[in-house]
Amino acid sequence: MTMKTLTPEQKQALATLRSSLGGISEQKRQAQKRLVTARKAIQKFLEAHPATVPQIAAALQMPTDEALWHVTGMRKYGKVAESGEEGDYPLYALVVQEDRVAAAQ
Amino acid sequence: MNTHVNSDFTPDALVIGAGIAGLQSALDLADQGLQVLLVERQPSIGGHMIALSKVYPTLDCASCITTPKMSAAAHHPNITILTNTEVEGIETRDEVHHVRLLQKPTYVNFDKCIGCRLCEYACDTEYPDPFEEGLGSVKAIAVPFTNAIPQKAVLNAEVCGTCGSCARVCPTGAIEYDQQPRRLMIRTDAVIVASGFNLNALTVKPQYNAQRSRNIISPLMLERLLAPHGPYGRVLRPSDGKMPSSIAFVQCAGSRDESIGVSYCSRVCCMYAIKQAMLLSGALPLADITIYYMDIRAFGKGYEQFYQNAKAMGINFVRGKVARINPVEDGDLSLHVETTEDAENPLQERRHDLVVLAQGMIPGWQPSATTPVTCSANGFVAAPTLTAPTATTAPGIFVAGTAAGPKDIVDTIAEAGAAAMQASQYLYQKRSAILVG
Repeated sequence: MTMKTLTPEQKQALATLRSSLGGISEQKRQAQKRLVTARKAIQKFLEAHPATVPQIAAALQMPTDEALWHVTGMRKYGKVAESGEEGDYPLYALVVQEDRVAAAQ
Repeated sequence: MNTHVNSDFTPDALVIGAGIAGLQSALDLADQGLQVLLVERQPSIGGHMIALSKVYPTLDCASCITTPKMSAAAHHPNITILTNTEVEGIETRDEVHHVRLLQKPTYVNFDKCIGCRLCEYACDTEYPDPFEEGLGSVKAIAVPFTNAIPQKAVLNAEVCGTCGSCARVCPTGAIEYDQQPRRLMIRTDAVIVASGFNLNALTVKPQYNAQRSRNIISPLMLERLLAPHGPYGRVLRPSDGKMPSSIAFVQCAGSRDESIGVSYCSRVCCMYAIKQAMLLSGALPLADITIYYMDIRAFGKGYEQFYQNAKAMGINFVRGKVARINPVEDGDLSLHVETTEDAENPLQERRHDLVVLAQGMIPGWQPSATTPVTCSANGFVAAPTLTAPTATTAPGIFVAGTAAGPKDIVDTIAEAGAAAMQASQYLYQKRSAILVG
Protein backbone atom coordinates (compact mmCIF):
# COMPACT_ATOMS: atom_id res chain seq x y z
CA MET A 1 0.00 0.00 0.00
CA THR A 2 1.33 3.40 -0.89
CA MET A 3 0.71 6.80 0.66
CA LYS A 4 -0.45 8.93 -2.24
CA THR A 5 -0.23 12.69 -2.32
CA LEU A 6 -3.49 14.58 -2.17
CA THR A 7 -4.76 16.12 -5.38
CA PRO A 8 -5.35 19.89 -5.43
CA GLU A 9 -9.10 19.19 -5.32
CA GLN A 10 -8.71 16.98 -2.25
CA LYS A 11 -6.54 19.62 -0.55
CA GLN A 12 -9.17 22.25 -1.28
CA ALA A 13 -11.96 19.99 0.04
CA LEU A 14 -9.95 19.24 3.17
CA ALA A 15 -9.39 22.96 3.77
CA THR A 16 -13.11 23.58 3.32
CA LEU A 17 -13.96 20.83 5.81
CA ARG A 18 -11.40 22.21 8.28
CA SER A 19 -12.86 25.71 8.05
CA SER A 20 -16.43 24.37 8.31
CA LEU A 21 -15.38 22.75 11.59
CA GLY A 22 -14.08 26.11 12.78
CA GLY A 23 -10.46 25.10 12.29
CA ILE A 24 -8.56 22.70 14.50
CA SER A 25 -9.20 23.87 18.04
CA GLU A 26 -6.43 24.03 20.61
CA GLN A 27 -8.41 21.53 22.68
CA LYS A 28 -8.45 19.04 19.80
CA ARG A 29 -4.75 19.61 19.14
CA GLN A 30 -3.89 19.00 22.79
CA ALA A 31 -6.07 15.88 22.96
CA GLN A 32 -4.31 14.45 19.91
CA LYS A 33 -0.92 15.29 21.41
CA ARG A 34 -1.86 13.56 24.68
CA LEU A 35 -3.07 10.49 22.78
CA VAL A 36 0.13 10.13 20.75
CA THR A 37 2.36 10.79 23.78
CA ALA A 38 0.51 8.25 25.93
CA ARG A 39 0.58 5.57 23.26
CA LYS A 40 4.31 6.04 22.68
CA ALA A 41 5.00 5.94 26.42
CA ILE A 42 2.96 2.75 26.90
CA GLN A 43 4.68 1.15 23.93
CA LYS A 44 8.10 2.03 25.33
CA PHE A 45 7.19 0.77 28.82
CA LEU A 46 5.91 -2.55 27.45
CA GLU A 47 9.10 -3.07 25.45
CA ALA A 48 10.79 -4.05 28.73
CA HIS A 49 8.25 -6.58 29.97
CA PRO A 50 4.49 -7.30 30.01
CA ALA A 51 2.52 -5.32 32.57
CA THR A 52 -0.93 -4.95 34.09
CA VAL A 53 -3.02 -1.81 33.70
CA PRO A 54 -2.26 -0.56 37.26
CA GLN A 55 1.48 -1.12 36.63
CA ILE A 56 1.31 0.85 33.38
CA ALA A 57 -0.66 3.61 35.07
CA ALA A 58 1.74 3.84 38.01
CA ALA A 59 4.81 3.91 35.78
CA LEU A 60 3.41 6.58 33.48
CA GLN A 61 1.58 8.51 36.22
CA MET A 62 -1.78 8.39 34.52
CA PRO A 63 -5.21 7.38 35.89
CA THR A 64 -5.84 3.63 35.67
CA ASP A 65 -9.05 4.05 33.65
CA GLU A 66 -7.14 6.12 31.09
CA ALA A 67 -4.37 3.50 30.91
CA LEU A 68 -7.01 0.80 30.35
CA TRP A 69 -8.61 2.83 27.57
CA HIS A 70 -5.26 3.22 25.80
CA VAL A 71 -4.42 -0.47 26.20
CA THR A 72 -7.87 -1.36 24.84
CA GLY A 73 -7.26 0.75 21.74
CA MET A 74 -3.77 -0.69 21.25
CA ARG A 75 -5.16 -4.21 21.64
CA LYS A 76 -7.93 -3.52 19.11
CA TYR A 77 -5.46 -2.33 16.51
CA GLY A 78 -2.96 -5.15 17.09
CA LYS A 79 -0.26 -3.27 19.02
CA VAL A 80 -0.58 -5.20 22.30
CA ALA A 81 -2.00 -8.58 23.30
CA GLU A 82 -2.81 -10.36 26.53
CA SER A 83 0.04 -12.53 27.84
CA GLY A 84 -1.23 -14.18 31.00
CA GLU A 85 -2.44 -12.86 34.33
CA GLU A 86 -0.94 -11.42 37.48
CA GLY A 87 -3.27 -11.66 40.44
CA ASP A 88 -6.66 -10.27 39.42
CA TYR A 89 -5.26 -8.42 36.41
CA PRO A 90 -4.45 -9.51 32.85
CA LEU A 91 -0.93 -8.83 31.62
CA TYR A 92 -0.43 -6.97 28.35
CA ALA A 93 2.60 -7.41 26.10
CA LEU A 94 3.74 -5.62 23.01
CA VAL A 95 3.02 -7.42 19.74
CA VAL A 96 6.29 -7.71 17.87
CA GLN A 97 5.24 -6.79 14.38
CA GLU A 98 4.83 -3.73 12.29
CA ASP A 99 1.52 -1.93 12.56
CA ARG A 100 -1.41 -2.98 10.39
CA VAL A 101 -0.80 -0.36 7.72
CA ALA A 102 2.84 -1.39 7.37
CA ALA A 103 1.87 -5.05 7.49
CA ALA A 104 -0.53 -4.49 4.63
CA GLN A 105 2.20 -3.01 2.44
CA MET B 1 -27.30 -2.94 -1.25
CA ASN B 2 -29.51 -0.27 -2.74
CA THR B 3 -28.75 3.12 -1.16
CA HIS B 4 -29.54 5.45 -4.04
CA VAL B 5 -32.50 7.65 -3.29
CA ASN B 6 -33.70 11.00 -4.55
CA SER B 7 -36.94 12.88 -3.97
CA ASP B 8 -38.55 11.20 -7.02
CA PHE B 9 -38.49 7.88 -5.18
CA THR B 10 -41.97 6.98 -3.95
CA PRO B 11 -41.76 3.78 -1.93
CA ASP B 12 -44.94 1.96 -0.91
CA ALA B 13 -43.84 2.16 2.72
CA LEU B 14 -41.17 3.92 4.74
CA VAL B 15 -39.83 2.30 7.91
CA ILE B 16 -38.22 4.56 10.50
CA GLY B 17 -35.48 2.74 12.37
CA ALA B 18 -33.46 -0.31 11.30
CA GLY B 19 -33.25 -2.13 14.61
CA ILE B 20 -34.77 -5.57 14.93
CA ALA B 21 -38.34 -4.18 14.72
CA GLY B 22 -37.67 -2.06 11.64
CA LEU B 23 -35.78 -4.87 9.91
CA GLN B 24 -38.57 -7.37 10.54
CA SER B 25 -41.26 -4.94 9.34
CA ALA B 26 -39.26 -4.02 6.23
CA LEU B 27 -38.61 -7.67 5.36
CA ASP B 28 -42.24 -8.67 5.85
CA LEU B 29 -43.44 -5.82 3.62
CA ALA B 30 -40.75 -6.39 0.98
CA ASP B 31 -41.53 -10.12 0.83
CA GLN B 32 -45.07 -9.14 -0.22
CA GLY B 33 -43.64 -7.28 -3.23
CA LEU B 34 -43.90 -3.81 -1.72
CA GLN B 35 -41.13 -1.25 -2.19
CA VAL B 36 -39.73 -0.22 1.20
CA LEU B 37 -37.41 2.61 2.22
CA LEU B 38 -35.66 1.77 5.50
CA VAL B 39 -34.23 4.83 7.28
CA GLU B 40 -31.64 4.58 10.04
CA ARG B 41 -29.96 7.45 11.90
CA GLN B 42 -26.85 5.41 12.83
CA PRO B 43 -24.10 4.53 10.33
CA SER B 44 -25.12 0.84 10.43
CA ILE B 45 -28.39 -1.02 10.60
CA GLY B 46 -28.96 -3.49 13.45
CA GLY B 47 -30.02 -1.22 16.31
CA HIS B 48 -29.36 -2.15 19.92
CA MET B 49 -29.72 -5.86 19.28
CA ILE B 50 -26.57 -6.21 17.19
CA ALA B 51 -24.57 -5.00 20.22
CA LEU B 52 -26.03 -7.60 22.61
CA SER B 53 -24.15 -10.74 23.61
CA LYS B 54 -26.95 -13.31 23.95
CA VAL B 55 -30.72 -13.33 24.25
CA TYR B 56 -32.93 -14.82 26.95
CA PRO B 57 -34.26 -17.36 27.73
CA THR B 58 -32.55 -19.48 25.06
CA LEU B 59 -29.09 -17.92 25.41
CA ASP B 60 -28.82 -17.81 21.63
CA CYS B 61 -26.17 -15.51 20.21
CA ALA B 62 -27.82 -12.13 19.51
CA SER B 63 -25.82 -11.39 16.37
CA CYS B 64 -26.65 -14.86 15.01
CA ILE B 65 -30.28 -13.73 14.96
CA THR B 66 -29.74 -10.12 13.90
CA THR B 67 -27.02 -10.46 11.26
CA PRO B 68 -29.06 -12.68 8.88
CA LYS B 69 -31.94 -10.19 9.05
CA MET B 70 -29.54 -7.29 8.42
CA SER B 71 -28.05 -9.13 5.49
CA ALA B 72 -31.46 -10.14 4.10
CA ALA B 73 -32.64 -6.52 4.25
CA ALA B 74 -29.45 -5.25 2.64
CA HIS B 75 -29.73 -7.71 -0.25
CA HIS B 76 -33.50 -7.55 -0.73
CA PRO B 77 -34.41 -6.15 -4.16
CA ASN B 78 -37.44 -4.36 -2.69
CA ILE B 79 -35.62 -2.65 0.20
CA THR B 80 -33.65 0.56 -0.11
CA ILE B 81 -31.62 1.56 2.95
CA LEU B 82 -30.56 5.04 3.98
CA THR B 83 -28.16 5.11 6.94
CA ASN B 84 -26.91 8.24 8.75
CA THR B 85 -30.34 9.67 8.01
CA GLU B 86 -32.80 11.29 10.38
CA VAL B 87 -36.49 11.97 9.94
CA GLU B 88 -37.09 15.69 10.39
CA GLY B 89 -40.85 15.50 10.09
CA ILE B 90 -43.91 14.02 8.40
CA GLU B 91 -46.78 15.94 6.88
CA THR B 92 -49.87 14.13 5.63
CA ARG B 93 -51.77 15.65 2.70
CA ASP B 94 -54.53 13.81 0.80
CA GLU B 95 -53.64 10.58 2.61
CA VAL B 96 -50.05 10.77 1.33
CA HIS B 97 -47.24 11.09 3.86
CA HIS B 98 -44.50 13.57 2.95
CA VAL B 99 -41.46 12.54 4.96
CA ARG B 100 -38.63 15.06 5.36
CA LEU B 101 -35.24 13.33 5.67
CA LEU B 102 -31.81 14.69 6.52
CA GLN B 103 -28.94 12.51 5.33
CA LYS B 104 -25.75 13.45 7.12
CA PRO B 105 -22.41 13.29 5.31
CA THR B 106 -20.16 10.28 5.88
CA TYR B 107 -17.33 11.86 3.85
CA VAL B 108 -16.96 8.49 2.12
CA ASN B 109 -18.39 7.62 -1.28
CA PHE B 110 -20.15 4.32 -0.56
CA ASP B 111 -20.05 3.36 -4.26
CA LYS B 112 -16.26 3.48 -4.18
CA CYS B 113 -15.51 2.26 -0.62
CA ILE B 114 -14.60 -1.43 -0.54
CA GLY B 115 -14.48 -1.69 3.29
CA CYS B 116 -10.75 -2.52 3.30
CA ARG B 117 -10.21 -0.42 6.48
CA LEU B 118 -6.84 0.92 5.29
CA CYS B 119 -8.11 4.43 6.13
CA GLU B 120 -8.94 3.24 9.66
CA TYR B 121 -5.46 1.76 10.18
CA ALA B 122 -3.80 4.91 8.84
CA CYS B 123 -5.81 7.29 11.04
CA ASP B 124 -4.03 8.58 14.18
CA THR B 125 -7.08 9.95 15.98
CA GLU B 126 -9.09 7.81 18.38
CA TYR B 127 -12.09 8.54 20.55
CA PRO B 128 -14.37 6.49 22.87
CA ASP B 129 -16.23 4.01 20.68
CA PRO B 130 -20.01 4.61 20.83
CA PHE B 131 -20.67 1.01 19.73
CA GLU B 132 -18.69 -0.19 22.77
CA GLU B 133 -20.64 2.22 25.01
CA GLY B 134 -17.46 4.31 25.37
CA LEU B 135 -15.43 1.44 26.84
CA GLY B 136 -13.25 0.89 23.80
CA SER B 137 -11.77 3.22 21.25
CA VAL B 138 -12.32 3.74 17.55
CA LYS B 139 -10.53 5.76 14.89
CA ALA B 140 -11.97 9.00 13.54
CA ILE B 141 -12.61 7.17 10.26
CA ALA B 142 -13.73 3.59 10.68
CA VAL B 143 -16.16 0.88 9.69
CA PRO B 144 -18.56 1.24 12.66
CA PHE B 145 -18.12 -2.33 13.92
CA THR B 146 -17.10 -5.78 12.69
CA ASN B 147 -20.43 -6.92 11.29
CA ALA B 148 -21.80 -3.48 10.42
CA ILE B 149 -23.99 -3.14 7.35
CA PRO B 150 -23.10 -1.30 5.18
CA GLN B 151 -19.51 -2.44 5.62
CA LYS B 152 -18.24 1.02 4.70
CA ALA B 153 -16.03 3.50 6.50
CA VAL B 154 -17.58 6.60 8.03
CA LEU B 155 -15.64 9.69 9.06
CA ASN B 156 -16.54 11.44 12.31
CA ALA B 157 -15.86 15.08 11.45
CA GLU B 158 -16.28 16.17 15.08
CA VAL B 159 -13.06 14.40 16.10
CA CYS B 160 -11.20 14.33 12.76
CA GLY B 161 -7.87 16.11 12.79
CA THR B 162 -8.19 16.78 9.01
CA CYS B 163 -4.69 15.42 8.37
CA GLY B 164 -5.67 13.81 5.06
CA SER B 165 -4.12 10.38 5.85
CA CYS B 166 -7.31 8.51 4.95
CA ALA B 167 -7.45 10.00 1.47
CA ARG B 168 -3.75 9.29 0.98
CA VAL B 169 -4.12 5.57 1.64
CA CYS B 170 -7.57 4.93 0.15
CA PRO B 171 -6.99 2.64 -2.85
CA THR B 172 -10.25 3.63 -4.56
CA GLY B 173 -10.37 7.39 -3.96
CA ALA B 174 -13.53 7.03 -1.87
CA ILE B 175 -12.83 9.83 0.61
CA GLU B 176 -14.87 12.95 -0.17
CA TYR B 177 -14.15 15.76 2.29
CA ASP B 178 -16.61 18.04 0.54
CA GLN B 179 -19.74 15.96 1.15
CA GLN B 180 -22.64 18.05 2.41
CA PRO B 181 -25.83 17.17 4.30
CA ARG B 182 -28.62 16.22 1.91
CA ARG B 183 -32.31 16.92 2.42
CA LEU B 184 -34.92 14.68 0.81
CA MET B 185 -38.70 14.72 0.67
CA ILE B 186 -40.12 11.25 0.23
CA ARG B 187 -43.76 10.63 -0.59
CA THR B 188 -45.20 7.36 0.63
CA ASP B 189 -48.56 5.82 1.47
CA ALA B 190 -47.57 4.06 4.69
CA VAL B 191 -45.06 4.65 7.47
CA ILE B 192 -43.95 2.31 10.25
CA VAL B 193 -42.34 3.98 13.26
CA ALA B 194 -39.77 1.57 14.72
CA SER B 195 -37.52 4.12 16.36
CA GLY B 196 -36.68 1.99 19.39
CA PHE B 197 -35.60 3.03 22.84
CA ASN B 198 -32.91 4.76 24.84
CA LEU B 199 -31.94 4.16 28.44
CA ASN B 200 -32.16 6.98 30.93
CA ALA B 201 -28.84 8.31 32.23
CA LEU B 202 -26.75 6.35 34.72
CA THR B 203 -26.71 9.52 36.80
CA VAL B 204 -30.50 9.91 36.90
CA LYS B 205 -30.54 8.93 40.59
CA PRO B 206 -27.82 11.02 42.27
CA GLN B 207 -27.83 8.78 45.36
CA TYR B 208 -26.22 6.03 43.24
CA ASN B 209 -23.17 8.24 42.55
CA ALA B 210 -22.54 6.91 39.04
CA GLN B 211 -20.68 10.12 38.21
CA ARG B 212 -18.10 9.29 40.89
CA SER B 213 -17.19 5.75 39.84
CA ARG B 214 -16.35 4.10 36.51
CA ASN B 215 -17.34 0.79 38.11
CA ILE B 216 -21.04 1.66 38.11
CA ILE B 217 -22.00 0.59 34.63
CA SER B 218 -25.06 0.30 32.41
CA PRO B 219 -26.53 -3.03 31.28
CA LEU B 220 -25.55 -2.21 27.69
CA MET B 221 -21.94 -1.75 28.83
CA LEU B 222 -22.09 -5.19 30.43
CA GLU B 223 -23.50 -6.62 27.20
CA ARG B 224 -20.38 -5.36 25.43
CA LEU B 225 -18.12 -6.75 28.16
CA LEU B 226 -19.84 -10.14 27.76
CA ALA B 227 -19.73 -10.09 23.95
CA PRO B 228 -17.09 -12.39 22.42
CA HIS B 229 -15.36 -9.47 20.67
CA GLY B 230 -16.10 -6.85 23.29
CA PRO B 231 -13.74 -3.99 24.09
CA TYR B 232 -11.51 -5.86 26.56
CA GLY B 233 -11.95 -9.38 25.18
CA ARG B 234 -13.16 -10.44 28.64
CA VAL B 235 -15.04 -9.01 31.63
CA LEU B 236 -12.93 -6.37 33.35
CA ARG B 237 -13.68 -3.36 35.55
CA PRO B 238 -13.60 -0.11 33.56
CA SER B 239 -11.75 1.72 36.33
CA ASP B 240 -8.55 -0.34 36.33
CA GLY B 241 -8.86 -3.52 34.27
CA LYS B 242 -9.36 -5.82 37.26
CA MET B 243 -11.31 -9.06 36.88
CA PRO B 244 -14.28 -8.42 39.16
CA SER B 245 -14.93 -10.91 41.93
CA SER B 246 -18.18 -9.53 43.34
CA ILE B 247 -20.81 -8.08 41.02
CA ALA B 248 -24.12 -6.51 42.00
CA PHE B 249 -27.18 -5.87 39.86
CA VAL B 250 -29.40 -3.09 41.17
CA GLN B 251 -32.88 -3.52 39.71
CA CYS B 252 -35.45 -0.77 39.15
CA ALA B 253 -32.60 1.79 39.20
CA GLY B 254 -34.23 3.93 36.52
CA SER B 255 -37.86 2.84 36.39
CA ARG B 256 -40.85 2.37 38.70
CA ASP B 257 -39.82 5.61 40.34
CA GLU B 258 -41.98 8.71 40.05
CA SER B 259 -39.19 10.89 41.46
CA ILE B 260 -37.28 10.51 38.17
CA GLY B 261 -40.34 10.70 35.93
CA VAL B 262 -40.36 7.01 34.98
CA SER B 263 -43.19 5.47 36.94
CA TYR B 264 -43.68 2.49 34.63
CA CYS B 265 -41.89 -0.87 34.63
CA SER B 266 -39.30 -1.31 31.86
CA ARG B 267 -40.37 -4.98 31.54
CA VAL B 268 -37.02 -6.38 30.39
CA CYS B 269 -34.61 -5.60 33.25
CA CYS B 270 -35.41 -8.62 35.45
CA MET B 271 -34.82 -11.07 32.64
CA TYR B 272 -31.70 -9.46 31.14
CA ALA B 273 -30.18 -9.15 34.62
CA ILE B 274 -30.76 -12.88 35.16
CA LYS B 275 -29.30 -13.61 31.72
CA GLN B 276 -26.25 -11.41 32.35
CA ALA B 277 -25.75 -12.98 35.79
CA MET B 278 -25.77 -16.45 34.21
CA LEU B 279 -23.31 -15.38 31.52
CA LEU B 280 -21.09 -13.75 34.14
CA SER B 281 -21.02 -16.90 36.20
CA GLY B 282 -19.71 -18.65 33.10
CA ALA B 283 -17.13 -15.95 32.34
CA LEU B 284 -16.04 -15.53 35.97
CA PRO B 285 -16.76 -18.88 37.69
CA LEU B 286 -15.38 -17.74 41.06
CA ALA B 287 -17.27 -14.43 41.17
CA ASP B 288 -20.01 -13.75 43.68
CA ILE B 289 -23.07 -12.40 41.81
CA THR B 290 -26.00 -10.74 43.58
CA ILE B 291 -29.24 -9.34 42.16
CA TYR B 292 -31.02 -6.77 44.38
CA TYR B 293 -34.66 -6.71 43.31
CA MET B 294 -38.11 -5.52 44.39
CA ASP B 295 -39.92 -8.37 42.61
CA ILE B 296 -38.90 -10.60 39.72
CA ARG B 297 -41.20 -10.19 36.73
CA ALA B 298 -40.62 -13.42 34.79
CA PHE B 299 -43.80 -13.31 32.73
CA GLY B 300 -42.93 -14.85 29.36
CA LYS B 301 -42.69 -18.37 28.02
CA GLY B 302 -39.88 -20.21 29.78
CA TYR B 303 -38.91 -17.16 31.84
CA GLU B 304 -39.78 -18.61 35.25
CA GLN B 305 -37.72 -21.72 34.50
CA PHE B 306 -34.86 -19.44 33.45
CA TYR B 307 -35.11 -17.63 36.79
CA GLN B 308 -35.14 -20.91 38.70
CA ASN B 309 -32.09 -22.10 36.73
CA ALA B 310 -30.22 -18.94 37.72
CA LYS B 311 -30.99 -19.57 41.40
CA ALA B 312 -29.83 -23.17 41.02
CA MET B 313 -26.57 -21.90 39.50
CA GLY B 314 -25.81 -20.08 42.73
CA ILE B 315 -26.73 -16.52 41.79
CA ASN B 316 -27.84 -14.64 44.92
CA PHE B 317 -31.23 -12.96 44.78
CA VAL B 318 -31.77 -10.41 47.57
CA ARG B 319 -35.22 -8.90 47.88
CA GLY B 320 -34.88 -5.29 48.89
CA LYS B 321 -34.05 -1.83 47.64
CA VAL B 322 -30.63 -0.25 47.28
CA ALA B 323 -30.87 3.21 48.80
CA ARG B 324 -27.38 4.52 48.20
CA ILE B 325 -24.11 3.54 46.54
CA ASN B 326 -20.84 5.03 47.73
CA PRO B 327 -17.45 4.62 46.07
CA VAL B 328 -14.88 3.32 48.59
CA GLU B 329 -11.18 2.45 48.41
CA ASP B 330 -9.68 0.30 45.61
CA GLY B 331 -12.50 1.28 43.26
CA ASP B 332 -14.99 -0.85 45.20
CA LEU B 333 -18.55 0.19 45.94
CA SER B 334 -20.50 0.14 49.17
CA LEU B 335 -24.24 -0.54 48.77
CA HIS B 336 -26.70 0.49 51.47
CA VAL B 337 -29.56 -1.98 51.16
CA GLU B 338 -32.88 -2.31 52.88
CA THR B 339 -33.85 -5.95 52.59
CA THR B 340 -37.06 -7.74 53.49
CA GLU B 341 -35.24 -11.05 53.90
CA ASP B 342 -33.65 -10.37 57.28
CA ALA B 343 -36.20 -9.05 59.79
CA GLU B 344 -33.60 -8.56 62.53
CA ASN B 345 -31.14 -6.71 60.36
CA PRO B 346 -33.04 -5.06 57.46
CA LEU B 347 -30.53 -2.26 56.86
CA GLN B 348 -27.31 -3.69 55.52
CA GLU B 349 -24.12 -2.44 53.95
CA ARG B 350 -22.64 -4.69 51.28
CA ARG B 351 -19.50 -4.31 49.24
CA HIS B 352 -19.01 -5.16 45.56
CA ASP B 353 -16.37 -4.31 42.99
CA LEU B 354 -18.70 -3.81 40.01
CA VAL B 355 -22.32 -2.59 39.99
CA VAL B 356 -24.80 -2.77 37.10
CA LEU B 357 -27.71 -0.34 37.29
CA ALA B 358 -30.92 -1.45 35.58
CA GLN B 359 -31.74 1.82 33.85
CA GLY B 360 -35.20 2.68 32.66
CA MET B 361 -36.30 2.31 29.06
CA ILE B 362 -37.34 5.62 27.52
CA PRO B 363 -38.41 6.48 23.93
CA GLY B 364 -35.65 6.68 21.32
CA TRP B 365 -37.54 9.39 19.43
CA GLN B 366 -40.58 11.46 20.23
CA PRO B 367 -42.40 12.03 16.95
CA SER B 368 -45.35 14.04 18.28
CA ALA B 369 -43.72 17.45 17.68
CA THR B 370 -42.90 16.89 14.00
CA THR B 371 -45.39 14.28 12.79
CA PRO B 372 -49.15 13.67 13.02
CA VAL B 373 -48.49 10.86 15.52
CA THR B 374 -49.42 11.51 19.15
CA CYS B 375 -47.52 10.15 22.12
CA SER B 376 -48.71 9.07 25.54
CA ALA B 377 -47.72 10.87 28.73
CA ASN B 378 -44.56 8.79 29.06
CA GLY B 379 -43.42 9.75 25.55
CA PHE B 380 -43.99 6.46 23.73
CA VAL B 381 -46.16 6.39 20.60
CA ALA B 382 -49.79 6.11 21.65
CA ALA B 383 -52.14 3.50 20.22
CA PRO B 384 -55.76 4.69 19.83
CA THR B 385 -57.21 1.43 21.18
CA LEU B 386 -55.92 -1.53 23.14
CA THR B 387 -57.11 -3.89 20.41
CA ALA B 388 -54.87 -2.31 17.75
CA PRO B 389 -51.42 -2.08 19.35
CA THR B 390 -49.63 -1.31 16.08
CA ALA B 391 -51.98 1.50 15.02
CA THR B 392 -51.31 5.16 15.79
CA THR B 393 -53.61 8.15 15.93
CA ALA B 394 -52.58 8.99 12.34
CA PRO B 395 -54.12 6.83 9.56
CA GLY B 396 -51.44 5.09 7.50
CA ILE B 397 -48.78 5.45 10.19
CA PHE B 398 -48.08 2.35 12.28
CA VAL B 399 -45.77 1.59 15.17
CA ALA B 400 -43.68 -1.44 16.11
CA GLY B 401 -41.40 -2.49 18.94
CA THR B 402 -40.16 -0.36 21.79
CA ALA B 403 -41.23 2.86 20.07
CA ALA B 404 -44.67 1.97 21.46
CA GLY B 405 -43.45 1.06 24.95
CA PRO B 406 -40.99 -1.20 26.75
CA LYS B 407 -40.99 -4.78 25.53
CA ASP B 408 -38.56 -7.62 24.94
CA ILE B 409 -37.15 -8.93 21.67
CA VAL B 410 -39.70 -11.73 21.27
CA ASP B 411 -42.63 -9.32 21.57
CA THR B 412 -40.86 -6.73 19.42
CA ILE B 413 -40.42 -9.15 16.52
CA ALA B 414 -44.02 -10.37 16.79
CA GLU B 415 -45.29 -6.78 16.87
CA ALA B 416 -43.10 -5.79 13.92
CA GLY B 417 -44.70 -8.54 11.85
CA ALA B 418 -48.13 -7.35 12.93
CA ALA B 419 -47.31 -3.74 11.99
CA ALA B 420 -46.16 -4.88 8.55
CA MET B 421 -49.42 -6.80 8.02
CA GLN B 422 -51.48 -3.80 9.18
CA ALA B 423 -49.54 -1.55 6.79
CA SER B 424 -49.93 -3.88 3.82
CA GLN B 425 -53.64 -4.30 4.54
CA TYR B 426 -53.97 -0.50 4.69
CA LEU B 427 -52.16 -0.15 1.36
CA TYR B 428 -54.29 -2.86 -0.25
CA GLN B 429 -57.54 -1.26 0.93
CA LYS B 430 -56.41 2.22 -0.11
CA ARG B 431 -55.38 1.09 -3.57
CA SER B 432 -58.49 -1.08 -4.01
CA ALA B 433 -60.62 1.94 -3.19
CA ILE B 434 -58.77 4.01 -5.79
CA LEU B 435 -59.27 1.31 -8.42
CA VAL B 436 -62.97 0.90 -7.62
CA GLY B 437 -63.53 4.65 -7.30
